[in-house]
Amino acid sequence: MASTNRRPPMVCCPEHPDSPLVEDYHAGDMICPDCGLVVGDRVVDVGTEWRTFSNEKDTKDPSRVGAAENPLLDGSDLSTMIETGPNLATDEFGKPVYRNRRTMNSADRSLLNAFREINQMGDRLNLPKMIADRASTLFKQVQESKSLKGRSNDAVCAACMYIACRQEGVPRTLKEICAVSKISKKEIGRVFKLILKTLETNVELITTGDFMSRFCSNLGLSTRIQKAATHIARKAVDMYLVPGRSPISVAAAAIYMASQASNEKKTQKEIGDVAGVAEVTIRQAYKLMYPKALDLFPKDFKFDTPIEQLPTQ
Amino acid sequence: MSGETILAPLVAPLSVGVIGEISGTSVAESEDTQEGTISQEDPGDTNESLDIFINNVVSSFSVRCHLNLKKIAMEGCHVEYKRETGMLNMKIRNPLTTASIWSSGKITVTGARSEIDAKVAARKFARILQKFGFNVRFSNFRIVNVLGTCSLPFTVKIVEFSGKYRENASYEPELHPGVTYKLKSLKATLKIFSTGSITVTAPSVNNVKEAIDHVIPLVAEFKAGEGDISRKILLKEARLLKEKKIRPRTIVCYPDDFDSDDEFDSDDELSDEFSYDDDSDDF
Repeated sequence: MASTNRRPPMVCCPEHPDSPLVEDYHAGDMICPDCGLVVGDRVVDVGTEWRTFSNEKDTKDPSRVGAAENPLLDGSDLSTMIETGPNLATDEFGKPVYRNRRTMNSADRSLLNAFREINQMGDRLNLPKMIADRASTLFKQVQESKSLKGRSNDAVCAACMYIACRQEGVPRTLKEICAVSKISKKEIGRVFKLILKTLETNVELITTGDFMSRFCSNLGLSTRIQKAATHIARKAVDMYLVPGRSPISVAAAAIYMASQASNEKKTQKEIGDVAGVAEVTIRQAYKLMYPKALDLFPKDFKFDTPIEQLPTQ
Repeated sequence: MSGETILAPLVAPLSVGVIGEISGTSVAESEDTQEGTISQEDPGDTNESLDIFINNVVSSFSVRCHLNLKKIAMEGCHVEYKRETGMLNMKIRNPLTTASIWSSGKITVTGARSEIDAKVAARKFARILQKFGFNVRFSNFRIVNVLGTCSLPFTVKIVEFSGKYRENASYEPELHPGVTYKLKSLKATLKIFSTGSITVTAPSVNNVKEAIDHVIPLVAEFKAGEGDISRKILLKEARLLKEKKIRPRTIVCYPDDFDSDDEFDSDDELSDEFSYDDDSDDF
């Protein structure tokens, strides 16, 4: 964050007198962004006072200001609480005089629940915090609009997660989202369409290349085969060999073709398990792609099994 | 009807302008066929027509009196009573329809093939209920939903189509293999598939017709090229033509090895391939 006050008495970098100084709050320094020279120090520090470790036996938290505020997502979440203890204010019966007001808004409580659920789903899918945060933001927007009020919160969470993955450019198939949520694919699909209508956003169409790296590494295939499979799938779609087939089925069939042409052969069943596609679906898509196999492979592909010996189904 | 699917590729190389000219429409409710069809006749070219088949008309009406569903279930024929939803299903044979009856007196009739059929069926159901002894008054008949299907003679590039019409079209390959195109003004939902079939649901038969009129020029822009028509269809079509001894109007449909300048009954390798005259032993 650039400092906006540039009063002449303030120090400035001797070599770059015109560059605005950057304040580093935690160390209390003023730093020149061009050469990194520290030109002022001992500015008041607003960072944490004490470092708190989670495994400390002494559970008393010496921080005097409480947890950081949850930005955007919540409104009035103050973590200040009234302490109750043996030698604190009690009336005749031993009951504390000052109650701990722990009641929060019910809306906030459902929000918190949903955020926890989204974070758990993100953990199960091994997604970075950024995507879970985006999903949480989407959930808050949906909650504000009140149009999906009757839908179960879990369904909305799952659909928000699906949209967040899509928007970040790393789509997860609906089946993968189903696997980490207890909502059916049909319900997630319905809620997904409703959310798109409510938030008036559009998502990009999924392509075969989005899933290649994930499926191939789950199957343990080398990058050479992954690149070949990506090429095959893209060419198959461009040449309009597989109209109306889901990109995931086409990707699975392309992986099958590429793996069968190399020495790391995978069965249709294994690929179907990883991709969430039925074996017969892979077979159907493969049958459509097989006649043009020669055109689909990349030019520099090294065949361990020549094209003539590729399985016909 | 079976002939039309084979003849379809014949009309495939239509230009967009010709399709757009389909304006003169006549709603032909033919009594001899089961289905109600609408034929759209292009005034300029008499051979081109796009058949829209109405497959289902859903209507609802009220009999304005409370019905004792249990009594109907016990004494009626062709009824099913579902206790958990509180609904009674009754079927009649002619027209082939099903009615969902509620005890409040509201009835939904499904399965009719045309608007007139729907009204006839509704009146029949009301008559059956009247015979049970209820004080039935036929009121509030309205058509809720009409389902029509239509088959375009060309395949469609749905990915590009959905990319162009983002606001109205939604394509989710994981959920449904077709593009869902919604027309707010007509309250119609169209599902367009890559094979060229279109299904339309709208509040009335006219809306179905208008929705298809509206969409055909949009879709024709994304017609898949000639080379995408499968060879099987082309060969079937050539055989049919030879049988009927018709000289086709357009030559573009023919497969690569088909020499169009030759006469059909000339003795070259072409007619050997397509020979099913009497001299051929196979047929």
